This record gives sequence, C-alpha cells and structure tokens, in this order.
Amino acid sequence: MSFIPGQPVTAVVQRIEIQKLRQGENLILGFSIGGGIDQDPGQNPFSEDKTDKGIYVTRITPKGPAEVAGLMMGDKIMQVNGWDMTMVTHDQARKRLTKKNEDVVRLLVTRKSLEEAVNNSKGHQARH
Amino acid sequence: MFVWAFLFSLRSPLRDAAIQSNLSEPRLPHSTCGVTALADIKGKAQPIPDMEDYDVRSAASILASVKEQEARFEQLTRALEEERRTLQLGRDNPPPNPATSQPLAWQQVVMQEQSPSNATSMAMMQEPQDVVEETVTIEEDPGTPTSHVSVVTSDDGTTRRTETKVTKMVKTVTTRTVRQVPLGPDGLPMPEGSSPLGSYTDSIDRRYMKNGGDRFITPQASSTLTRSYNNSYNDSYGETPESQYIRHYGLHDGYTDLTDNYGSLSRGINFRPPRYPYMPNSYRPENSYTLPNRKDDYGHMAQPQVPMGSSTVDLNRSQPERFQPEPYGLEDDRRSFGPEDEEPYELEPDYSTANRRTLKGANRGRTHREPLRDGPRVRGYPDEPIDTELIDERHPYIQGIYSAPLAQPERGSMASLDRMGGRRSPSIDSIRKDPRWRDPDLTEVIAMLAHPIDPVKSNAAAYLQHLCYENDKIKKDVRHLKGIPVLVGLLDHPKSEVHRKACGALRNISYGKDNDNKVAIKNCDGIPALVRLLRKTNDMEVRELITGTLWNLSSYEPLKMVIINHGLQTMTNEVIIPHSGWEHEPNEDSKPRDAEWTTVFKNTSGCLRNVSSDGAEARRRLRECDGLVDALLHALQSAVGKKDMDNKSVENCVCIMRNLSYHVHKEVPGADRFQDPSAPQAPGSAGPQRKKKDDAGCFGGKKAKEEWFNQGRKNGENDKNYDTLDLPKRTEPSKGFELLYQPEVVRLYLSLLTESQNYNTLEAAAGALQNLGAGQWTWSNYIRATVRKEKGLPILVELLRSDSDKVVRAVAIALRNLSIDRRNKDLIGSYAMRDLVSNLPSGQQRPAKNLEEDTVVAILNTIHEIVTDSSENARSLIQAQAIEKLVAINRTSQSPRETKAASHVLQTVWSYKDLRNALTKDGWNKSHFQPTATATPKATKNGKPGYDDTTLPLMEKNQDGYSTIDQRDKDCKYKTGDSSVDLTEREPLKNDTSRKHYIRSNRPAVSLVDACDVKPQPVDSWV
Repeated sequence: MSFIPGQPVTAVVQRIEIQKLRQGENLILGFSIGGGIDQDPGQNPFSEDKTDKGIYVTRITPKGPAEVAGLMMGDKIMQVNGWDMTMVTHDQARKRLTKKNEDVVRLLVTRKSLEEAVNNSKGHQARH
Repeated sequence: MFVWAFLFSLRSPLRDAAIQSNLSEPRLPHSTCGVTALADIKGKAQPIPDMEDYDVRSAASILASVKEQEARFEQLTRALEEERRTLQLGRDNPPPNPATSQPLAWQQVVMQEQSPSNATSMAMMQEPQDVVEETVTIEEDPGTPTSHVSVVTSDDGTTRRTETKVTKMVKTVTTRTVRQVPLGPDGLPMPEGSSPLGSYTDSIDRRYMKNGGDRFITPQASSTLTRSYNNSYNDSYGETPESQYIRHYGLHDGYTDLTDNYGSLSRGINFRPPRYPYMPNSYRPENSYTLPNRKDDYGHMAQPQVPMGSSTVDLNRSQPERFQPEPYGLEDDRRSFGPEDEEPYELEPDYSTANRRTLKGANRGRTHREPLRDGPRVRGYPDEPIDTELIDERHPYIQGIYSAPLAQPERGSMASLDRMGGRRSPSIDSIRKDPRWRDPDLTEVIAMLAHPIDPVKSNAAAYLQHLCYENDKIKKDVRHLKGIPVLVGLLDHPKSEVHRKACGALRNISYGKDNDNKVAIKNCDGIPALVRLLRKTNDMEVRELITGTLWNLSSYEPLKMVIINHGLQTMTNEVIIPHSGWEHEPNEDSKPRDAEWTTVFKNTSGCLRNVSSDGAEARRRLRECDGLVDALLHALQSAVGKKDMDNKSVENCVCIMRNLSYHVHKEVPGADRFQDPSAPQAPGSAGPQRKKKDDAGCFGGKKAKEEWFNQGRKNGENDKNYDTLDLPKRTEPSKGFELLYQPEVVRLYLSLLTESQNYNTLEAAAGALQNLGAGQWTWSNYIRATVRKEKGLPILVELLRSDSDKVVRAVAIALRNLSIDRRNKDLIGSYAMRDLVSNLPSGQQRPAKNLEEDTVVAILNTIHEIVTDSSENARSLIQAQAIEKLVAINRTSQSPRETKAASHVLQTVWSYKDLRNALTKDGWNKSHFQPTATATPKATKNGKPGYDDTTLPLMEKNQDGYSTIDQRDKDCKYKTGDSSVDLTEREPLKNDTSRKHYIRSNRPAVSLVDACDVKPQPVDSWV
C-alpha cells in the first residue's frame, strides 16, 4: 500500500472490536503501538514502505483483549472509532486509544496478509 | 583447456564493462560547455558505409574467391578420393616414415595437389595417427554430447560467442567425418560408429571428436573448401548419398570442420597448405597428447557452459542440417565459422586464461606469421590471383599489426610456432588440428563482417569482440580499418545472433581511454543505432550489451549530449522505469514493485549518471525527461526499504539525483516563483559581518561577493521564520523534477547516509543535500529545516568521521549550506565543532586521516560559515582547541588555499571583541589572527584562479570544487598525499575510536537535534 500525502488511501481493511480490560483504574487493550508522523518511520520494522508514518501494532499481550479480538502484531491501524490514524502523532494515537470513557474501541486495521488474501482470491478491495 | 578458455572469454567482456563503469566517475555538473562542443558532432547520421563497398575485399571479390575455392575444392575432393584409395591400400603397411615426417591428412591433400607423389606417403603416415585418435574420440563420444550441449547452450546464451563457435564446430565435425572416412576405415571402427549415427549423434560427438581429434585429423588441408564445400562435396560424390558418407566417415571429424572453417574465414587464407615438411612432425606429437587433454577440458568446460543456454535446440538444428545437402543453410554458416570460431575461441581461452595480458604472445605470433604471408602467393592454387590481391592489400597491415592479434593464441604451443613458420599462425588448437590453419588477420575479420552469410558476420564480430578485449592496439586498428561502421551497420541486422555479437564487439571497442574509438562509433551514427536496437530487442543480453556500450560512450564528454538527444527517453522508458518498479499510474490493487538491480539497470543508470554531469542543458533534459526522476526516486526508496543500498545501481541513481539537484533553484522552470521574497530587501543583522566575511572569503570575485552578500541578508531574514515555517501544502502529489527538491527527499538521503556502506553513495547523498541546501528559494529553506527536523544533522556530523576523504568533504560542505539556516548554524556550532576541528591537520602533521587539500579547505570554509555571525559558535571553536590548529595552518601550511581559508577563520574569530580576552589568556595575540605576510598574497594569487571565473555564490562554488577537482588541486593532492601515507594508515584507527568514544559519551548524537524539533519519542507505547 503506497502512501502519498494528500491522496486517498486504499487498503484492504479488517474491522476489529476490542473490549477494554480493566486493570485497577486503567483500561487496557493489551497491545502496544509504534509509529506516528512524529516518529522515524525508517525504524518501523513492520512497514513495507519505510516512509510510512502510520500507527502500527508492535506488541500484543498474550491472552489480552487485543489478541482475543484478533489483532495481530504488525497490523497497521487505519482508524480508531472512526478517527483517522494514518496522519497522527504517536501521542495522538495513544490518547485516542486510551480514552477513559470508552470501553470498546473499533479498529480498522490492514495487514499484508489481508491484501494478499484478497488479491489471491481475486476479490474486490474494500475501500474506505 | 577449451572449456576454461570459454569461460574466460565470456567473462572478459563483462569485466570490461565493469571496468568501464569504474572509469565513469560521477561528476557534478559544473559546466555546460559540453553541449556546444557537441553541436558539430551531432550532425545527422551518415549513411552507413555499405559493408561490401567498404573494404577492398568486397563481396564480389569474396564471391569470386569462393568460386575459385569451390573449384579448388573439387580438385581436392578428387584428390581426397584418390588419397582414400591409397590409404586403404596402404593401411596395412606400416607408415614409411614414422613420427618424424608424418604429414597431416590435410597436408597430404595439399601435397597431392602440389606434388601428388608425396601425398601418398603422407597419407600412409597419417593413418596410424588417425587410428589412435579415433579410438580416443570414440570413447569420448559418450561424454562428448554433454559438452556439446553445453557449448550449444552457450550459443543460445548469445553472449558467449565462444560457445556459438562450438556449435558451429559440431557441424563442421560432420563434414570432417566425410573426409576422414577414408582414414577411418583404416584404423578405426569408424564405419560402424558412423552407421548408427544417424548423423545426429555423430555430429554432436564429432564436435567433441573434433576437439579431440581434429587436431589429429589435420585433414583440414581439405579445408580449402569453401562453404560451397557442401555443394562441391555433393557434386563430387554425387553418386553416393551424403548419408553414406556420413556413416562411413562420420567418425572423422577433422576434415569437414576444416572445410567449413575455410569458407567462413577468409577464403584466401584458408587455402594455404603447410609448406614445411617439418611441420607435420611437430604436429603429430601434439595430436596424440592433445586429444586426451581436450576431452578432459571439454567435459569440464561443458558443464559450466550449459547453464548459459539450451544447447539441445542447437543440436537438433545442427543435426538436420548435416543431412541436408544444401551448403548454405545454417550449416554453411556454421561451417564457415567452424574453424575460425574454434580457433579464436580456443585461442580466446588461451588469451583469457593466459590472459590477454600476455599479449606478447600475440606479438610472437605476428612475427612468426609474417613469413607465412608469402605462402599463399607462392602456392599455385587456382585461387591465387584473388588471394594474392587480397593478401597484397592486406599485407601491410598483416605484417605489422593486424595479423598479430590472431596470432596470440599461438603462443601456447611451440608446434604452432613451427607451423607458423609455414603459415599464418593459427590458434594453438587449430594448429594442432591442422598446421595450415591460421587465424584470420584483422582485415580479414573485418571483411567477414560484410560476408553475405550471417553466421560469418556474427562469428567475425564475436571474434572481434574477443580480440578487442583490453587490447587498445587492436581497437585502434579496427578503427583504422574502418571496422566500426560495419559493426554499427550490423546493429540493425535482423538476426539476433548478428546484432548481438556486433554489439558485443562495439562494447569492448568503446571501452577504454581511447576516446577516438567512441567518436568513431558516434560518427557512424552508432548511438542512434544502439538506441534503435534497444527499442527493438527484448533479449536481456543484447540490452546489457547495448546499455554497456552506451555507458562506455557516455564517459566521453562530447558524446554526452548526443546520447541524451538520441537515447534519453528510450533508456528511461525501456530500462529505468520498468526496472525501477515505478508506475506511471499506480494500480491500486497491486503493491508497489521493488526495483530490480539488473545489469541493464546498472548500465543504464551509469550512462545517465555520466551524461547528467554535462552541464545545465543536460540537467534540464534529464529533469524534464518524463518519468525519469520519479523512477529513480522510486528505485531509491525501494533500496532503502530493502536495506539494499550498497550496490552500484543505487550509487548511480543517487549520483544522478545529486547532479540533477544541482542548481535546481536556478534552473528549474518556474523557479522564480519560489525565490525567497525577502531576499531583495531587509538586510539582516548579519549584514555587516557577512560582508566582512565575504571579503575575506577565498572565492571573492566581485559579483560572487554581492551574491553572497545578498544571500547573507536573506538568511538573516529567513532564519527567524524557520521554526514557524510550514511546508507548502500540495493539492496534488508532486511529480517529475519537482520531486527533486521536495522535503520528502531529505528522509531518503538521510536513510542512505545512515545505512549505506558505499562511499560513493554516501558522498552523493551528502552532495544532494548540499545541492538542495544551497541557494535562496523557498524549497531550500524547507530542505534545510527538514534536515534538522528529520534529525539529519547528527547523521551528517557522524559522517565527518568517515575514513573517506570525499565523504568528509561532501558532508562538510553540506553542513555549510545547511548552516544558512540560523538554527542549524547554532546547532552545528554547538555540537559539530569538535568533529570539524578534529579533521584539521594539527601543526605540521597532516591530519590523522590525511585529508586532501580540498577537504581541509572545505572544512575550514564550513567552520568559517559557522562562526560568522555567531560569537557563540566562535566560542565553541575556541573551546574545541581549534585556534592552535588554525594558527599552525595559517603559518605553516604548504597549501595557499588552506592558509587563506584558515586565515579567514582566524580573522573572523578575532573580530569578536568579547572573545579577545579569553584568547589573550590562552597566549594568543593579534598577530596570530592576521594573515601571514607571505601566505596571503600567495593565496590570493594561487588560490583564486580555480574559482575566479564563476559568479556562483560561495557554497555553490564549493560544490563545483568538490565534485570536479580542478587540475591544480589534483596535483596538490598527489604531492601532499605521498608524504603522509604512513600516518594515514595507522592513525585512523586510533583516532577514530577515540573520537567516537568522545562523541558518544559526551555528546550523544541526539543532542544535535534542535530542541524545538524534538518530539516525544515513544517508540512504542502500551495501550
């Protein structure tokens, strides 16, 4: 998926809904993110395009809510509850994910295997 | 040996190309003069001289000679038949003259012609040998096929002409069989073997046999036959079907091969029979030895060759051909090639293995051959008149120069030498096979390029390629003999075999320092022809050859614009874009493709790299070439993504980008709109100091001064804006040349600077930032700020520690341009000063790294730029212990430019009155900061000339300086370099580690990032 600033992004996405888990007074999702427009995209080990400053899932807590919901390491988060995540700073993404007043986050994620699966099946690409 | 040789020959052209690439150095564009120079040259393509008209040995004369040869052949065939009978009779009889005087079969034939009586005896002698050989061959046969295949494969592979030749050989073998038949019956199972053959199997094997046995077979004498041979053969033996002959004689390879060879080579040449009786003797022993060896060789060689192509196909082809009576079909071609090819190839191997380096061998050959020259005339062949003519014409060349190249192979065997005495020298192998054989001389080879039969052309071209490999003399000779227009003409030949080989020859010819060869190719419209072929062909190998040739040609300045005019868009469309993975209209469904670092891409990018240095016009053409910049950028992004950025292709791409980035702010269409509006008015606070600095600057032409001055003012103005500067919003993605200076490229170059291990790539990437950071327009402001925000300054500073002189220089100049940005200047002054200073020589000792004068000057100028307008930076300079070094340079440097640059820095430092106290405390006084009496005037005189002619602003001037070293600098470099070699060798390690340690511990690279730009750095946060 190439990314050109100012151009609409096309990607095969998967919807993932994660029920936050309460730990003490924290709500946790059970994964960690990397990336953001303020980060060095060259250090992102998951992105195909090393200029991609998107938010990526870097780690997943075993048995955590994210894993249960089907999130995978290396997924690129496109949206969080409808908010675009492809042009945000790392901190903005973190905040968007950790809103205390939301128990559920709905993610749109894309990953290589999705695209491949779609391409292989000659299916149409979902656009958004 | 044979196989080995093949491999070598194959490799050699490649090596050539590689070398060439090294030669072609990326040059920063500095002048546009190339364009003008080209104008004359550009003239329209001249009609390619007709090949036939082209040489004295015109097609007509060749045909005539062929006919004569055919006639001769008939005679020979008759003689052969007689011989056969004699042989059969004499089989039982022991050879009258044992080894000593055994003539080869072919010799016998010859003898018969000349003196029939002798012939008989000769035949007798031969028989025993033949038998022995044949046995060997038979054994080999099983194994041979493999080797055969491999050989054939090579044909398909195209590149290896050697291989091709082999194929031809096979066919020839068949022919041989026929002739040998008489011999075969004597000692060998030949009839049996032949019968099953179906010619196919045999033919293949033959080939081998030929390799092994040909030498023995000597019968090549019969070779006098021309291509017509087949026809004549049929005629003479018309009663018996060919198949019969084949069966009976199939085993004997030698004869046919020789014939074939003859035809293809120069008619005139082939016919000479060995005059010298002793020759046979020497011959014989070799044969016995050689056979086994050859077999071995084949086996080995064959395998390596196999991968190259699909030999099977060829084999099939050849087989049917044998059966066919038609001489001119494919078979003919092969035949013609056969002997020659063999020889050259074999020779080639020798060359390559032995190394062309042993060119002396060639000389030897020549010497020996010369006597032979007369041979043809002496003989009373029917052909003679024609031959003589040809020979005479050739003669001058032959004796002196031309024959020699071919002779080279001979050096290997003494036997060949002996023969040589008799004849023109054949390759070693050929000699063994048949003393009569000799390599065609250069004139003959060139004449063969115009031969009506395509395989002859292609073989001749392949042989030329071989001869020209790393042999400047022969290249020159080919040029003088007007071989180049013929080769260029062959580029348009429809048969791939022909244009491929021609292209290969042109590539080798175009390689090297002799620019006349390149001009010769251009003058006969070789460049458009190459480009045409590039459009036409899909054969990767041909494309490699074409682009390799263009790369070679592009190293000569006057040809650059020609290449741009004819080939730029084609190279871009045919090679750069497809191989870069970039797509005009990216398909949303497909992911972006990665660049493929193919040889074709490497060659083409190398060519473009060279032509991109040909001045403003060349840069304009490249920038505006549709898709070029986009594709190059895509390729580089892909290289970064794959972390594969040390290869030559990447280096070429970065160099092109660097060159195209030069003067973008002046040369790009619409650049005016982006000129910094604040430039004209609003003198900055820096004004006075700028001016002062300028006066002190070593680049101080009046005009340059003013420009620089203006720049300074602009800078002062702009600096304040940087932090708030927002990158321009784009409504649509930029494309084409706009991509060159978009802030996005900064990240690309920084990635390269971080990851690449290739000094040239590092230098070019730093040079690109340097170019982009120069000038006063909106985009350079963005670039300078972006480098900072992308944390590029620490990366650059780190590279100041590079062991590569040119990298240090490029980085230093880039830092200087970047410090036009006020915040950059502050950061660099605070954090990079020690690294800059540590590159300076201390006292009389050259710097640890033994940097060139250019580099030292660049660093001094950068320091000067940094301390100008900033007493803070001047203070850090003092703290970095720089004053001592600067004073030492000012006083003792042998280089006026260094002296001058150091002096400027010192004056600037002294101009800060608040620093004088500290300086005085350290024991310095005013005199230390004043130009030394002797140095300065000297500097003005000697230092300026290199730059005086330019009106470019300081930094741009410097660019030129670093990209193209002017002559004077070079001289200095060499002078100074030698003295401190030892230092360089041991110092770097020590120094490097200590410095690194220092920096790492005390001043983490991160600190060089502007505080304002530092963002929270959560690499990773749990949610």
